[in-house]
Amino acid sequence: MPAELGALLLADGRLPTGGHAHSGGLEPALAAGAGPDDVPRYLEARLRTVGLVEATAAVLTLRRCRTAGADVDEVQVALRARMPSAPARTASELLGRGLARLARRLWPEHPAVAALDSLGAPPLRPVALGVVGAAVGMSDAQVARASLYDDAQTVAAAALKLLPVDPTDATRWLLDAGPTLEEIVARALTCTGPDTMPATTAPLVEQYSLDHASRSRRIFVA
Amino acid sequence: MPEHPTRPFRLGVAGPVGTGKSTVLATLCRELSAELSMAVVTNDIYTDEDARLLRAAEVLPVERIKAVETGACPHTAIRDDITANLLAVEDLESTFAPLELVVVESGGDNLTATFSPGLVDAQIFCLDVAGGGDVARKGGPGIERADLLLINKTDLAPYVEVDVDRMVSDAVAVRDGFPVLALSRNDPASIVRLSDWVRQVVAGYRAGRHVAHDPGPMAPHTHAHP
Repeated sequence: MPAELGALLLADGRLPTGGHAHSGGLEPALAAGAGPDDVPRYLEARLRTVGLVEATAAVLTLRRCRTAGADVDEVQVALRARMPSAPARTASELLGRGLARLARRLWPEHPAVAALDSLGAPPLRPVALGVVGAAVGMSDAQVARASLYDDAQTVAAAALKLLPVDPTDATRWLLDAGPTLEEIVARALTCTGPDTMPATTAPLVEQYSLDHASRSRRIFVA
Repeated sequence: MPEHPTRPFRLGVAGPVGTGKSTVLATLCRELSAELSMAVVTNDIYTDEDARLLRAAEVLPVERIKAVETGACPHTAIRDDITANLLAVEDLESTFAPLELVVVESGGDNLTATFSPGLVDAQIFCLDVAGGGDVARKGGPGIERADLLLINKTDLAPYVEVDVDRMVSDAVAVRDGFPVLALSRNDPASIVRLSDWVRQVVAGYRAGRHVAHDPGPMAPHTHAHP
């Protein structure tokens, strides 16, 4: 499959992987007092922290999948160590399982897809994304960009359900985040292995995710 | 001819909000869980509203009832992107293996919402008399082509001035042979008929006789003229 088509598929919210039920932490952030004007800064903060970590993990996974028998588990373990919130890990696992489920149906013979079974735990979203990127032949930069774009679009799309926002304004948030997004893509590509993976966290986002998990009336998973 | 199945039968319950889907689920659990190993997945606008109602009804061990978040789109979660539901169903199936019947309740936000054939093997569409006697006549994919149409809360008919027999015959007229069942939780005979229908489709599925069909979207259809 052409890599360009693969990149479009992964960026499309209509891809059936369960993403529509996630808000990238926006729902609990709003519950904690954020408003419409804060969303662009929230997007930016995510891209520079958890976004960078996840994009790096996706790229490292992709690179390892290009060699047969590569150890993706090491990336997964390094990423888990950088996700201190249990609910955030669970949400990432649901998204990763959604991607893995799709990949097993579409590319069952691909060695990277088959290797998902040896992980021992459900793949986190960036790890599954790296595997799918390998299956469709995407480049490092395409996979990093897909990871960051998906995170930003998840927040922007959820904002339309949660806030009085004009959909055009939400689209503008994404475009305005473009320069930051490209800067983070470039940084993610410079990482050489799990031991030097960035560990930038967003403590408030993590706190919000814990608050969200204990609420009974949720619209989004996380 | 379908092969003998290797996983539990999956039954969807769809229909507009307030027509009694959760009560139908509670009834099914109460009537069938002694003879069939069951689990339930609920889809809601606010996550676990329906799951909590079912847990409070104490008709099934609470850990066998799972709520799925739908991002305010229950209709998407049962039709266009069924991933979250499939993961929930598969988790229940592996935790409580061997299950025999998994019931998935839709969120009830949409008269036209039906389940994807990728998620359920058969589906019940639930209307109620209080929603208006003319709803069945108006049709729609679930009303016309779900495996079973329920006309629920028939005991309320005198209070909302609906003629149940008329509503049932309107439904029969648009359903091209698919069954219609008038139901009330205060009418034990109707509950037996509902339970028997589920027993019959589960048995058919196990025997490899059940053919899943899709009620389909709200597509325009034409009648061929000779």
